[in-house]
Amino acid sequence: MKSKLLLTLIIGAASAAAVAGPIEDQIRFRQSAYSFVGWNCAKIKNQVIDHPETYNKDQVVAAASAIAATANSGLGGLFGAGTDKGTGWKTTRLKSEFFQQPDDAKNAGVAFITEANALAKVAETGKIDDIKAQFGKLGEACKGCHDKFRTKE
Amino acid sequence: MTVKVKVWDLPLRLFHWALVLAVGFAVVTGEIGGSWADWHGRFGLIVLGLLFFRLIWGFIGSNHARFASFVPTPARIAAYLQGGWEGIGHNPLGALAVLALLGLAGLQVGTGLFANDDIAFQGPLAGLVDKPVSDKLTGLHATAFYVLAALIGLHVAAIVFYVRVKKHNLVKPMLTGTKQVPRELAVPATGHSLGRFAVAAIAAGVLVWTITDGLPDRLTKALDVQASVAGPAW
Repeated sequence: MKSKLLLTLIIGAASAAAVAGPIEDQIRFRQSAYSFVGWNCAKIKNQVIDHPETYNKDQVVAAASAIAATANSGLGGLFGAGTDKGTGWKTTRLKSEFFQQPDDAKNAGVAFITEANALAKVAETGKIDDIKAQFGKLGEACKGCHDKFRTKE
Repeated sequence: MTVKVKVWDLPLRLFHWALVLAVGFAVVTGEIGGSWADWHGRFGLIVLGLLFFRLIWGFIGSNHARFASFVPTPARIAAYLQGGWEGIGHNPLGALAVLALLGLAGLQVGTGLFANDDIAFQGPLAGLVDKPVSDKLTGLHATAFYVLAALIGLHVAAIVFYVRVKKHNLVKPMLTGTKQVPRELAVPATGHSLGRFAVAAIAAGVLVWTITDGLPDRLTKALDVQASVAGPAW
């Protein structure tokens, strides 16, 4: 009786752990990538907009290049068919519209790359007003995709 | 025999049109996002302040502005539907709409305080709750917006209906404060004063400041789930 219970528990735990697979990997990696981008955006916002007295060019350049590098890392590869359902670090919020409207999906992805590259470039100039303006454009690119292809919690 | 009578006091009218502007700007800036996200937050705080003001004014404002004078009790609504209601302030059905609009606007700014956009904006109290809670409240903020928008649409449609069908202009009194009413119903707005307006306005301002900036450190530090010690600089 006791061993049966133990077996049930082991099988249960094993099947819970067995969610790792190509789909779950893609979801988990992209969730990680966008979280990392979020951390770098928060640093830029803090130094450029909320507390400009703390502006540190090197740190903002580092954050902007990290965002650009992530954007250029081929994130599209993490949006394989079927990844609108599944659990990475948590359940994905990708809408299935992402796969029904591939052109719009591509535009959303390209907008992120374009604005992220422009931000990395402008960060090098150290001109705070230009960085601020470009950071706003990057935010609009993020929002464009969130509004269209991400479910609300 | 009709006479001209003051129905809506000046602070109430200022509140109404300021709310229209603040909500309008909050919607537009919220939809654009990007650099405007911060402005969305600021207009939201203005809405919050206006709602606090209206809440206080509902107790110390002029008679027609006080909740006690227009809270739509079932008896009042029944009387209104049977044509037995007489008055010049909010009628019971209109009062229901007023309370629903204020309540939903309150829900909207309330959830907004704890919301985040997963980009570079968060409400001033978002740090006091865990991220998943903030995400849920963000979702509620986005969904409740549609309900609020529908209610505002209904509010405007009802006013158009009154103007076109019932030949009863409700917009003008909200601008000028005065209405042409039968002499026996002519109870003018009384009880408001500059002093009372100042009290309500300052109290509303202090409340907003307290929520956004003025909470004691002792409390926010204890609650702030994001407060952390920075690691080394490498």
